[in-house]
Amino acid sequence: MKFKLNVVKYRWLWMILSACLLLPGIIAMIYSTITYPTHTPLKVGIDFTGGTISQFAIPEKVSVTDKNQLTILRSGLEKANIENPYVQILGASSNDESMETIISIRTKFIDKNSDDLNKIKGVIQTSFPEAQLVSVSSVGPTLGTELLKNSMIAVTLAFLGIIAYLTIRFRFDYALAAFLGLLHDTLFVLGVFSILGLVFNVQVDGLFITAILTVIGFSINDTIVTFDRIRENIRYYSKKMSFSEIVDASVNQTIARSINTSTTTGLTLLALYVFGGVTTKDFVLAMLLGVIIGTYSSIFFCSMLLDWWNNRKKVSATVGA
Amino acid sequence: MKNKVIMFWVIVFLAIISLVTIIRKPPTLGLDLMGGSRLTLEAQTTETLAKITPEVMGRLKFAIENRINKIGVAETMVQQSGEKRLIVEIPNVSDLTEAKKFIGDTAELEFKKEAGVDKDGNMKWESTGLTGKDVEKAMLSTSSSGEWVVDLKFRDAGVKKFAQLTTDLVGQQLAIYFGGELQSAPVIRQPILNGNAQISGGESSGGFEHSEAQRMVDLLNAGALPVPAEIVEENIVGPTLGADSLEKSKFAGMLGIGFVMIFMILYYRVPGIIADIALLLYSLMLFAIFVSVPVTLTLAGIAGFILSVGMAVDANILIFERTKEELRAGRNLYTAINSGFDRAFTSIFDSNMTTIITCIILYCLGTSIVKGFALTLAIGVSVSMFSAITITKNFMHLVFGTGELKYPQMFGLKKEEINTAYTATETKREKARFGILE
Repeated sequence: MKFKLNVVKYRWLWMILSACLLLPGIIAMIYSTITYPTHTPLKVGIDFTGGTISQFAIPEKVSVTDKNQLTILRSGLEKANIENPYVQILGASSNDESMETIISIRTKFIDKNSDDLNKIKGVIQTSFPEAQLVSVSSVGPTLGTELLKNSMIAVTLAFLGIIAYLTIRFRFDYALAAFLGLLHDTLFVLGVFSILGLVFNVQVDGLFITAILTVIGFSINDTIVTFDRIRENIRYYSKKMSFSEIVDASVNQTIARSINTSTTTGLTLLALYVFGGVTTKDFVLAMLLGVIIGTYSSIFFCSMLLDWWNNRKKVSATVGA
Repeated sequence: MKNKVIMFWVIVFLAIISLVTIIRKPPTLGLDLMGGSRLTLEAQTTETLAKITPEVMGRLKFAIENRINKIGVAETMVQQSGEKRLIVEIPNVSDLTEAKKFIGDTAELEFKKEAGVDKDGNMKWESTGLTGKDVEKAMLSTSSSGEWVVDLKFRDAGVKKFAQLTTDLVGQQLAIYFGGELQSAPVIRQPILNGNAQISGGESSGGFEHSEAQRMVDLLNAGALPVPAEIVEENIVGPTLGADSLEKSKFAGMLGIGFVMIFMILYYRVPGIIADIALLLYSLMLFAIFVSVPVTLTLAGIAGFILSVGMAVDANILIFERTKEELRAGRNLYTAINSGFDRAFTSIFDSNMTTIITCIILYCLGTSIVKGFALTLAIGVSVSMFSAITITKNFMHLVFGTGELKYPQMFGLKKEEINTAYTATETKREKARFGILE
């Protein structure tokens, strides 16, 4: 092979790189947990806290960062007795001329007897007479907490299910290394979104949990392919090569596939991110980040861990033979 | 070779069936794509009913269904979720202000009798045990003075109760409460024995509006809710936003798949073309399954589908990488293709199994959006095992046959690369399939 990657030899380099990738996110999550009123590591949306988001489409083009317009709308809403309104301007980039821009208003939960929705509409129509309500999504406060709890259970169960499957199909140490890889990838994506929450006020919703679970699935895919190769090579070469050499060889044999798969999946996701609807943008971004970090971790992080673990057990040469 | 030809025609046959299915039946679109509303109602316990039993939920569901049907929109759906929640889906309606009040209203009709006067001089009322449940039928009608009124006809038990009440309370007022509000309190002039009564809007408020009286009639006929139901979640997507999302997802999806197909041809050449054909067949079959199950397509579902395309291609990438390795190791074409498939199989199987495990967990625990995603992804992954392995393998053998590889460029390999890589010992196919390699 012309090109050879030395995963095992530069173990410390990958550890430091992983630490650099994860640390800012972890710090952001700790900071967020302390400072947010919800005490969550990420900025959570109405799906988890309860509240109402109403979206209005307007035919005018308004810049997403138009501070002036944001202030006018916010103070208008406050005057109309809407508590703590959060106003966001979204570029719709639609073919439909009546939907050049979308104005999204988040408020506390509006129940069926309240007239708040009409008040909000009134305020927006004073600035944009042609504004029309295009979507409302409302989550009651009790339901929100329940969803958060269920999501945590889902993620934990997914982790356990994968570890169990890998322990059966491979061995526990492979499962453990793969699990740490999952944790690595999940933490990275959560961290990035925690930072995005602090800097750009990005909030995570129910779909985000789906994205995280997909990231888990994808990251494990990559790791399995690499580990499967290690398992296979051990059967051929365990007498001729050390475990570390086998790991290195396996990574090099699978790297083309790992990169190609990430490229193809990344391309589809990129197309969705750039041309897909506004509503799924963050969802796709989370998956895109997951695909990239999943590829990195399966090539460098997980294989390195597996090797490290085996060397510590000092049975490197005879494993699996 | 004969088997392969038969398999080829089976694939062609499946493709034709899929195509016909897709043409004949339009896909079921989710509310986020075609516009509509989804409400989650939660049954509330009351003083008299401290626990929500399945029986109560059954009655609540029936009553809500009745009311939804009164709105007059096709393809509405009421579904129980969990122990005390109902999910109501109403397509194509984006202004639900009226409908929402209508759905959640307990519509409890109660007749109350006088119970003295409180210290401010207001009349107090107490329950008589006669309620809307005793009502057989309500009708819209006009009174002699031309006002809108609601005519009530009681059921057997109700007729007796009403007769008894009106006999006992002649000369007193009988209050009619609807949804907890006093509607009118007529004086009973004589016993009513035939079970026909009338609700009027009361003189002071100027009688009922037509719509008011009509709504009361509808609610009474639809039946009272056994327990109050609160709207705890609500999702309304306007038809324009829905159409826009659908348009964008379609475009993005096609573009994404287009990129993938070009990449496969550039990198893997002839096998790439075969993988692309398999990918097209995959999309065709998957869509046919979606419309015939039917799986409701939502935005998240489309994302799941596009992701499954990525995974279907992944299987082919794995196989082709292995085949190329085998070719580099100097194996003949037929064996190289076969062992490429066999050796990649464990990786593909294990990685797809973990994806399916995650999907099952998501499907069991997730909300309806998440469920849609998990279902499309799981079906996609399962179908991809067929398309990426069986279809591609069949086409590879049909295209390349059993001869020598004369043009390594067909695989994106250089001539001098052949026979230079490491050598691996031969493994029996049956064993390779289960990850046992000699």
